[in-house]
Amino acid sequence: MKFLKLAAAAATGIALLSSTALADDKPVVGLVMKSLANEFFQNMMEGAKEHEKSRGDYVLKAVGMQNETDFESQINAVDTFITQGVDAIVIAPADSRAMVRPLKKAMEAGIVVVNFDVSLDEEAKKQQGVELAFVGPDNRGGAKLAGDALGMKLGEGGKVVIIEGNPGADNATQRRLGFEDSVAEYKLDLLDSRTAHWETEEANTVFSNMLTANPDVQGVMAANDSMAIGVVKALESAGRDDILVVGFDNIPAVGPMIEDGRMLATVDQFGTDMAANAIDLALEVVAGGPALEGWVKTPIELVTGE
Amino acid sequence: MTETTQTAEATRPNRFSLRSILNNAGIGLALLAIILFFSIFTEHFLTANNITNILTQITINLILAVGMTFVILIGGIDLSVGSVMAFAAVVAGKAITMPGMGDAELIILAIVAGMLAGVVCGLFNGVVSAYWALPSFIITLGMLNIARGAALHISDAQTIYSFPFAFEEFGSAMVYGIPIVFLVALALVVVAWFILNFTVFGRLIYGIGNNEEAVRLAGHPVFWYKVGAFTICGLCAGIAAIVYMARLNIASPIAGIAFELNAIAAVIIGGTSLSGGRGSVIGTLLGAFIIGVLANGLILIGLNDFMRQMITGVVIIIAVILDYYRAKYASK
Repeated sequence: MKFLKLAAAAATGIALLSSTALADDKPVVGLVMKSLANEFFQNMMEGAKEHEKSRGDYVLKAVGMQNETDFESQINAVDTFITQGVDAIVIAPADSRAMVRPLKKAMEAGIVVVNFDVSLDEEAKKQQGVELAFVGPDNRGGAKLAGDALGMKLGEGGKVVIIEGNPGADNATQRRLGFEDSVAEYKLDLLDSRTAHWETEEANTVFSNMLTANPDVQGVMAANDSMAIGVVKALESAGRDDILVVGFDNIPAVGPMIEDGRMLATVDQFGTDMAANAIDLALEVVAGGPALEGWVKTPIELVTGE
Repeated sequence: MTETTQTAEATRPNRFSLRSILNNAGIGLALLAIILFFSIFTEHFLTANNITNILTQITINLILAVGMTFVILIGGIDLSVGSVMAFAAVVAGKAITMPGMGDAELIILAIVAGMLAGVVCGLFNGVVSAYWALPSFIITLGMLNIARGAALHISDAQTIYSFPFAFEEFGSAMVYGIPIVFLVALALVVVAWFILNFTVFGRLIYGIGNNEEAVRLAGHPVFWYKVGAFTICGLCAGIAAIVYMARLNIASPIAGIAFELNAIAAVIIGGTSLSGGRGSVIGTLLGAFIIGVLANGLILIGLNDFMRQMITGVVIIIAVILDYYRAKYASK
């Protein structure tokens, strides 16, 4: 796979270089995205492009990755942006540790860096001596919103399982912790917790098997909506309409499920606006505003059928 | 290999020989042992519901693996089936959500479109790798990216949903507790078994895997047989896409990532040789069962995800080692 990544990186580099010259004094923002194969980031990218058009006072250069864990191409993209001398880099890091060093290099080159979507690792930042604010949603708090909705319905002792995202991915960890917070607060009984790698078919299979092992389960917390869909289908084929499901992301496909009660709730973190908001913040700093500090929280909202 | 002097006719698989029965019996015994183990150590393994679950869960892998068997038998490999399945699903998903048509027309259109999308990809794999005699490993690696990119492009990376009710029903329908989608897969196994054992095409698939040059010298159009094997593999990916959509009621452009690996594993565990020429689709059926039963049973037993992944890996390696000894005794 190595040569594919190299090819992808080379292609990205060429694409970036060829579009350099057109900047007429407008600040240039380099946007480094995660996998555009994920509709969440695809929508975010579209949101950013529209934002560029409607604001009209900056130039956007956006780079996406091949997959969720492809931080190598992110590092290459950051390097290319440094070479080009962009004014700001706005990045959704694919790895919360590996991206700290290249971003430090960018900051030393005088580029305004805004970290959004997933926070860089605090330890790694300390080690490298980097001070960098984070603009993004509280994944843990969001998951807790969904988990609480479930906990409130089930009450103390309610038997639940968690369907996790990719092991090792920061947002997967945060969401699991958020669900576990709900479990603790509502004194729920957590029967099992397994990954389905964010994927519908795998969630369908894994949850069917969890249901067989734990037929008395009452509630399911899925770390994203794609997996929640797989859970809902598993419940339908098992003929169980007594089990509550919550998800995360509010993708269009779960709309009908929330409406007719097959899903209890999901969480919207307004992904379409997220990159655009981070760009706004970056441009303020570029224009001479004060540096961002700490955690600039972006809105999250519980979505239910009621 | 010592068969270099054999002709294509002589490489016809001796389907009722003691050896071929023993080969499959070995895999069957391994499957039985695994089933026995889980039956003893878990409470819910041998229940009607769980058996239904397992049948549903192995269906997609089994369909992909049937197609993969043809490609591996000619000594090739198809790394693109997972992506091709996603591409076919997105094409079928676009078709089935078109406005202004009746449900029946939409369903037929989607099934045809999905299978056609798979066939086109398989045809491409076959023609390019056979015409230029290029390693199918590389060509299908290219197709893996082409099909995935196409799936994402056509769908704009969005999940397609909201299909006709009858289509959604089909995905969860049962006959005597057996999922209809599994019966579709089983029918494919039977058809593939018939083709491989009782048609000239099938016999020459084995022949090409054993000794391509001999088949060519005997005057057979090797090129078209190879294209045929890849096209069947693509068609199976298209059928898997339809089953995926019926079962989950969505068409996702990121479906099927790494599914090719499980399909290859099922074929290899089933005793088909990676170098081609030897193996059977019945073995593939058993191989798919072993993978599915393991995935199911290890969850029931409460093993964590990471251990589960490790054990699946160990089973694949054991299967290949067993295959080494099978090949050794077979060539004596």
